[in-house]
Amino acid sequence: MNEQRHSLSSKIARLRDQFIEQMPGRMEEALHHLAMLRVDPNQRATAANLHRFLHSIKGTGNSFGFEELGSIAASGEHLVARLLEMPLNVSAPFWDELAEVLARIVLNTETLRQQGASSSQEHDVPRFEMAPIDDSEGDGGRRIYICDDDPLQVEQLATQLQCFGYHPVTFTDPAELRTAMMSKRPSLVIMDIFFPNNVSGTDVLAAIEREKDQPVPAIFISARDDFEARLNAVKAGGEAYFHKPVNALDMVTTIDELTVQKKPEPYRVLIVDDEPVIAAYHSLILQEAHMVTFQVHKPERVLEVLHLFRPDLVLMDMYMPGCNGRDLAKLVRQVPDYFGLPIVFLSSETDKRKQFSAMRVGAEGFLTKPIHPEDLVAAVAIRAERMRALRMLMARDSLTGLFNHSTTTQMLENAIANAGRQNESLCFAMIDVDRFKAVNDTHGHPVGDQVLLALARVLQQRLRNSDIVGRYGGEEFAVILQGIKLGAAAQIIDQLREDFAKIRFNAGEVEFSCSFSGGVAAFPQCKDMKFLREAADSALYKAKEEGRNRVVANNE
Amino acid sequence: MHVLVVDDDPFSREMTVAVLEDLGYNCQMAENGVEAMEILAGEGSCDLVISDMNMPLINGIDLFRELRSQGCALPFILLTGDDPEGLRTEEPKLDACLFKDFSLEEILPQVINEVLSRY
Repeated sequence: MNEQRHSLSSKIARLRDQFIEQMPGRMEEALHHLAMLRVDPNQRATAANLHRFLHSIKGTGNSFGFEELGSIAASGEHLVARLLEMPLNVSAPFWDELAEVLARIVLNTETLRQQGASSSQEHDVPRFEMAPIDDSEGDGGRRIYICDDDPLQVEQLATQLQCFGYHPVTFTDPAELRTAMMSKRPSLVIMDIFFPNNVSGTDVLAAIEREKDQPVPAIFISARDDFEARLNAVKAGGEAYFHKPVNALDMVTTIDELTVQKKPEPYRVLIVDDEPVIAAYHSLILQEAHMVTFQVHKPERVLEVLHLFRPDLVLMDMYMPGCNGRDLAKLVRQVPDYFGLPIVFLSSETDKRKQFSAMRVGAEGFLTKPIHPEDLVAAVAIRAERMRALRMLMARDSLTGLFNHSTTTQMLENAIANAGRQNESLCFAMIDVDRFKAVNDTHGHPVGDQVLLALARVLQQRLRNSDIVGRYGGEEFAVILQGIKLGAAAQIIDQLREDFAKIRFNAGEVEFSCSFSGGVAAFPQCKDMKFLREAADSALYKAKEEGRNRVVANNE
Repeated sequence: MHVLVVDDDPFSREMTVAVLEDLGYNCQMAENGVEAMEILAGEGSCDLVISDMNMPLINGIDLFRELRSQGCALPFILLTGDDPEGLRTEEPKLDACLFKDFSLEEILPQVINEVLSRY
């Protein structure tokens, strides 16, 4: 019996593997059906096919214990059922929703495939565990050494930096700094230039640098603002130079630039070529340059794939059967979402006039086959980079660099949908600077902007990577905290409130500080975005009512 | 003991067959209702029909009704990816109606025993 049981489970395991293996082929067909239906929603046979496909994925998925896949397919089945019922009543969001479902099926089966591959390898591949990165003091790479002989100034600067989430350690004696540098390397050093007894900060640091193999970024501060002092600082490896008194906010901006090294996301390139071998060849070249590629061999699939893959750039063959590159580019351009998407043609066409007519429909460039791999990589990278920069500008608030209102709303919607699927909680916080109008009226708008910038930095610096921070408008900010319960979220926002209140702002001769009020609400207690926003908003209102400078959690 | 498994989805069909063969049953497979009727009209013997609900041409309930109208009284178990309760109401004469999920492996043997004991 035991033997038999074993054979059943291995049979099921084999079936599961086969099921996952054939999914990409079936998905391609499903995407094709979707594309056909978009053109004409009345094609009942096609809709019925798609419906049966989703139904079968749901059923088989559930039979194999792929519950998430089953439920994604169920939502798709539901959508197509609506289409079958009333083909004329569907609108643009419907197609987006359906495409999103198909995209999630693709992603989910890919995950399953990877899990399957790893679980079958589990027993025969030698494994090892890596020791966790040493972060015993929990400073997460935010340790900064400050050395200045004026104890008051050094403490003041340290306090300000602390508010922005850094871990400053202060020294008044360069010799102490040297000892500390030898035992534990900071992320950055802030160094005064003039010390008593003619000791020069630049010399001290240059000497330390010579003893260490890995240079540490340094910022010099000085009361002097002359060429010689600045030149010495540069020679000693200084990355920046600040004239005292130091503006903490400017300092933080510079520190961020020097210490935060985010790994850039690889560029995503969609390759459209009816010749699979050529598509694969170009794809390989770009992958070598660490880009992510996706190949399409049938022009009619381009729109679906664009939606799923969200490329930074499209590399398109000029001549394809049934549809030339010029028409395809024009077609893509007519979809508002892809108006700015760079399209680069690849062709053996050397006729400049024909190249020019292709450019007129909005191609970003024209590369001639055969192309040298380095040229291809360069041509793609430059344009993809520009696309990224453009998208960034569109999604973010120009003053603070935080996500703007519409992007934040979009992200909140996505985060809620995600939390709903994963059965996780999520919190939404609305933050509003207290009596901000008075700051603007008293000190002027440039000073007001500094306050907003400081709050933006505090929020960004102190929250986790998974948290989303946006400027909702004016002096109002929004934070999405994922996978966290109401109490914990309110505590985090309250800590931020305390940090922000400690920051000292300078407006001419006057020094002042600011505070904010916050309202926090949680999903799934609030069942959708509308309720969540309203709940956070009313909590914020309550915080203001109760006297400001406080955080209120909405428990209702 | 011979069982006819009717399902248009090859994976789902194989999955059901794997469970049944593990219990020692002999299985025959049909991809749709028409093929199922042909098999049942043929020479071979059959003691039980297990059919999927949602299939092209003829769905599971229509297959069941067609068989009954032709005088075929074999026990009939319907499998579905949707809520089985609605189908049980739609066709109360079904011997059983089961939701397809990963517990099929455990539930199907019990249900078969229960259904067969009634015949």
